[in-house]
Amino acid sequence: MSQEYAVIGKSVPRKDGWDKVTGKAKYTGDLKFPNMLVGKILTSPHAHARILSIDTSEAEKLPGVKAVITHEDVPSLKYGISPARWDENIFCIDKVRFVGDKVAAVAALDEETVYKALKLIKVEYETLPAVFDPFEAMREDAPLVQEEYPRNINTEIHQNFGDVDKAMAEAYYVRTDRFKGQRTYQSPIEPHSAISIWDKDKLTIYSSTQSPHYFQYYIAREFGLPMGNVRVLKTHIGGGFGGKLEPTGLEFAGAVLSKLTGRPVRMFYDREDMFAHNRGRHAQFMELTTGVDKDGKILAVHANFVMDGGAYTSLGVASAYYAGALLTIPYEFDNYKFDMYRVNTNLPACGAQRGHGHPQPRFAFESHLDNIAKELGIDPVEIRLRNARKSNTTTPNEFKVETCALTEALEKARDLSGWREKKGKLPSGRGIGIGVGSFVSGAGYPIYRTDLPQASAVIKVNEDGSEATLYSGSVDIGQGSDTVLCQMAAEAMGYVYEKMRIVSADTELAPHDFGAYASRQTLMSGAAVKQAGEEIKTQLLAIAAPALGVRAEELDCREGIIFVKANPEINRTFGEAAREFFVKKGPLVGRGVYHVPKLGGKFKGAAVGTSPAYSFAAQVAEVEIDEETGEVKIAEVWDVHDCGKVINPALLHAQVHGAFYMGMGESVWEQVLFDAKGKIINANLAEYRLPTALDMPRLHSDLVDTVEPNGPWGVKEVGEGATTPVMGCISNAITDAIGVRIDSLPLSYEKVWRASKERKRNTSGE
Amino acid sequence: MYLPDFEYYQPNSLAEACRLMAKFGPRARILAGGTDLLHKMKHGQLEPEVIVSLNGLERLREITYQKGVGVVIGARATHNDIAGSALLQEKYRSVCEAAHHMANNQIRNVGTLGGNIVNAVPSADLPPILIALGASVKLAGSQGRRVLPLEEFFTGVHSSVIEPDEILTEVIIPDQPSTGSTYIRFGLRRSGALAVVGAAVAVTMEGETCREARIALGAAAPVPMRARQAEAVLKNQVITPDLLEEAGVCAARECSPRSSIRGSEEYRRDLVRVLTRRALQKAIKEGHV
Ligand SMILES: Cc1cc2nc3c(=O)[nH]c(=O)nc-3n(C[C@H](O)[C@H](O)[C@H](O)COP(=O)(O)OP(=O)(O)OC[C@H]3O[C@@H](n4cnc5c(N)ncnc54)[C@H](O)[C@@H]3O)c2cc1C
Repeated sequence: MSQEYAVIGKSVPRKDGWDKVTGKAKYTGDLKFPNMLVGKILTSPHAHARILSIDTSEAEKLPGVKAVITHEDVPSLKYGISPARWDENIFCIDKVRFVGDKVAAVAALDEETVYKALKLIKVEYETLPAVFDPFEAMREDAPLVQEEYPRNINTEIHQNFGDVDKAMAEAYYVRTDRFKGQRTYQSPIEPHSAISIWDKDKLTIYSSTQSPHYFQYYIAREFGLPMGNVRVLKTHIGGGFGGKLEPTGLEFAGAVLSKLTGRPVRMFYDREDMFAHNRGRHAQFMELTTGVDKDGKILAVHANFVMDGGAYTSLGVASAYYAGALLTIPYEFDNYKFDMYRVNTNLPACGAQRGHGHPQPRFAFESHLDNIAKELGIDPVEIRLRNARKSNTTTPNEFKVETCALTEALEKARDLSGWREKKGKLPSGRGIGIGVGSFVSGAGYPIYRTDLPQASAVIKVNEDGSEATLYSGSVDIGQGSDTVLCQMAAEAMGYVYEKMRIVSADTELAPHDFGAYASRQTLMSGAAVKQAGEEIKTQLLAIAAPALGVRAEELDCREGIIFVKANPEINRTFGEAAREFFVKKGPLVGRGVYHVPKLGGKFKGAAVGTSPAYSFAAQVAEVEIDEETGEVKIAEVWDVHDCGKVINPALLHAQVHGAFYMGMGESVWEQVLFDAKGKIINANLAEYRLPTALDMPRLHSDLVDTVEPNGPWGVKEVGEGATTPVMGCISNAITDAIGVRIDSLPLSYEKVWRASKERKRNTSGE
Repeated sequence: MYLPDFEYYQPNSLAEACRLMAKFGPRARILAGGTDLLHKMKHGQLEPEVIVSLNGLERLREITYQKGVGVVIGARATHNDIAGSALLQEKYRSVCEAAHHMANNQIRNVGTLGGNIVNAVPSADLPPILIALGASVKLAGSQGRRVLPLEEFFTGVHSSVIEPDEILTEVIIPDQPSTGSTYIRFGLRRSGALAVVGAAVAVTMEGETCREARIALGAAAPVPMRARQAEAVLKNQVITPDLLEEAGVCAARECSPRSSIRGSEEYRRDLVRVLTRRALQKAIKEGHV
């Protein structure tokens, strides 16, 4: 047994791979139940308007329509996902706050009838002045989106650590830069859908969700049901990226429609609805001031941000905190000030999108740092090396970082990319840039206040030992957590991956877990799974020992074989021992639970950004710019990650590729655009330009090794962190190519064209 | 998001198709690949009562060479039929390339030449190169047939000279003196992006001298347009890099693009300059590419 591990560290095939590539996999919208109705939500055509009346009589008369509901038919209790700011109603009561706000819903026999019925609902509106710009929204005379937030300020943050003023005063060079992010949307391939079945006192909802737990909690709360009477489960999920973390009108309205009709109701969004429902990336306005010494060592940072939150809170309180909290992670400095206003506007609500609040500030900071390096004549890699965080350090906002191999990652990315040979030596139109990133491996605290553990798991070995099932509340939304957790279970049990089954993301069949967000599952769900697996192994070795004539401590189990450590020739099979266990003692079950130790400081907002472990990444990109047209070609990318122990290399590198793809889209191509009345003008995949496979560069995904003491087997995260370096990296590469900095995202062809043109005009002295 | 109800016909002769179109007039629409028509119907922009499909008319898909006439492309040829046609590859690869770089593969499998023309949108990719090559279109209607230059077909965005009872049956690229042609499109990503600007050229070179140049621009005006002033710059001139730039500048001046979410007027104009110059360069140097 030469290798340390038998199952983890290998690119085993995904549990769901076959079904997905053959089309056999069923997503929520594919499911059919006897007597099932189809439902859809009617949304507001106005950005801000008072509802004067709603007449559903014509819609109700349409043959095939089984129910039409408005705010009068549903609980008026406000919900949300951030407990500090529950501000959404199932349907708007007095007024609508953005184009797409929820007004009524229909259930009918088929989709076609639903669309027809929606057109027959007559809503009388009195339009109100609307506000679309966060700075205008903060003015005293601006219309209020939500009455309870004066000057439309939904979240206000002022944090101050160390002595920023003093450090700035003593700095050799202080620089301020301003950057602007844009609204982007997650655009998962699978549109949201939910099937609600309200049967007597039991409500079952199949949903394309990232977290059955939060859905269960909020749905039970909304309808005054005990949590046990609400079952939320999922089938396959076609991506979430943060946009499917909070319950939507589909679950709430569907539940009511099902209760009224006594039939299962499938509710769905089409692509345009998805854009309007949104919960995508906030547009942030970011002013950064940094003081450095003459070697470029960062002494103090002041981040002064405003974000456009749209009409509701969604996860925005956390997004606002994350925006500033994580700026302190990759580089070491002692003095830090963070000011933030999250402002409501009459636009779709923004929430968490891969990297939650952090990617745009990271873009700003990486761009800003390159500006500083340029001013001081320091190489961009060098300035990062001088500031890179080290293991066993604490950030000014009191996050403890136990492992950090950013220095090694930077050096490796520099060497792999040929940075030294390329920087400053590339032909005209080509550029090279670097960016770093990092992220939490699970949030230190859940979204609502509770003492529930972060994760738990049960493993049951089949009576004859021929297979085992892992029960976990974790959620595979495409990232591969079912696969990774089965690998972890098999490793801990001494079992075989191929014989592992999994039941996950079902609040009734699987034990509690908060779900797929904040890159938490490999570490947190994994910790619970490891414990459950080890409990199985311990029980099994105890039962197996007498027959082998040794004590249990002298045994180990690996890949389904129980053997004497000192003499592996003496062994018996896992299956045989498992059967013996069942005959003598009943079901062979292992249990695991994971609590995060208490983390973070005591100041307001101290919880956001805490995590047992942080990932780090350094990324270099080479770009080719057609300076006459502004066309950006991302030519080649080198990404080096510190993400702790890798459980499944293929899945890990797939995350890096996918995260780069998303970050690249946000860097150059993607932006949700609105007309003057607040209606999205590109709510489709033709004009909301996600990059295509043809736009993807050659990407080298590489690793540096760390073993994180706070993660099972030393794991950390990769899913979200991998998006965080991309925008800054591409921004720096484009700047290197064209010689000027574009300070607003996306770095579109037209902006690059304009910037190149202006630079030429300036340098030719026209 | 749902197709409204309609009556559906799939005639198996052109005469029958014409008869149906004459009978139903403006209440009917021709269906070819449907990539544009069905999209509009699903979004409530068009509600024809009758659909007459051309999908029973296999002959309309052929691409042939007719002596004394030229290359004849059936209106129902798909973009991928055009891109893969051995005949076109040999004679006017520029047309194949134009078809190959538009839309995405799924659309190219069903979208047709006829639909691309009759749809009459400024960003359509096939009209510019066909106009540069002096192509004409044949229309069949209840009153008979007529042939007219493609250049004269368009009258505005979504409007053309075609009558409600007429069917576009073929596009004819005449035999010609030109020595090179090409089409360069500029899209905002590598696949599935409509052209922000497209520039097609056909040049007749004699040694270093350009005897004649035809320049046709896409998405640079409400209809595909000839850049005649730019053409005049080149006529009977010895080609130099400066002259090509001058032609580009001229084309940029004479076009009239609009601002849209894909690009500002100013950006488009400058793209016309660059693309025109690059297209000329390429066609002069490389032939029909
Ligand atoms: C995702 C996507 C990407 C696209 N990208 C591009 C692109 O990059 N470049 C581009 O140019 N276009 C693009 N298009 C537009 C469209 O696909 C093409 O214009 C295509 O050629 C239309 O052909 P069709 O056969 O599908 O037309 P249809 O939708 O069948 O018809 C379009 C119109 O023409 C009429 N019509 C069709 N054929 C005839 C005929 N023979 N006689 C009379 N009338 C007729 C129809 O009645 C209808 O009004 C794209 C479309 C989509 C959906």
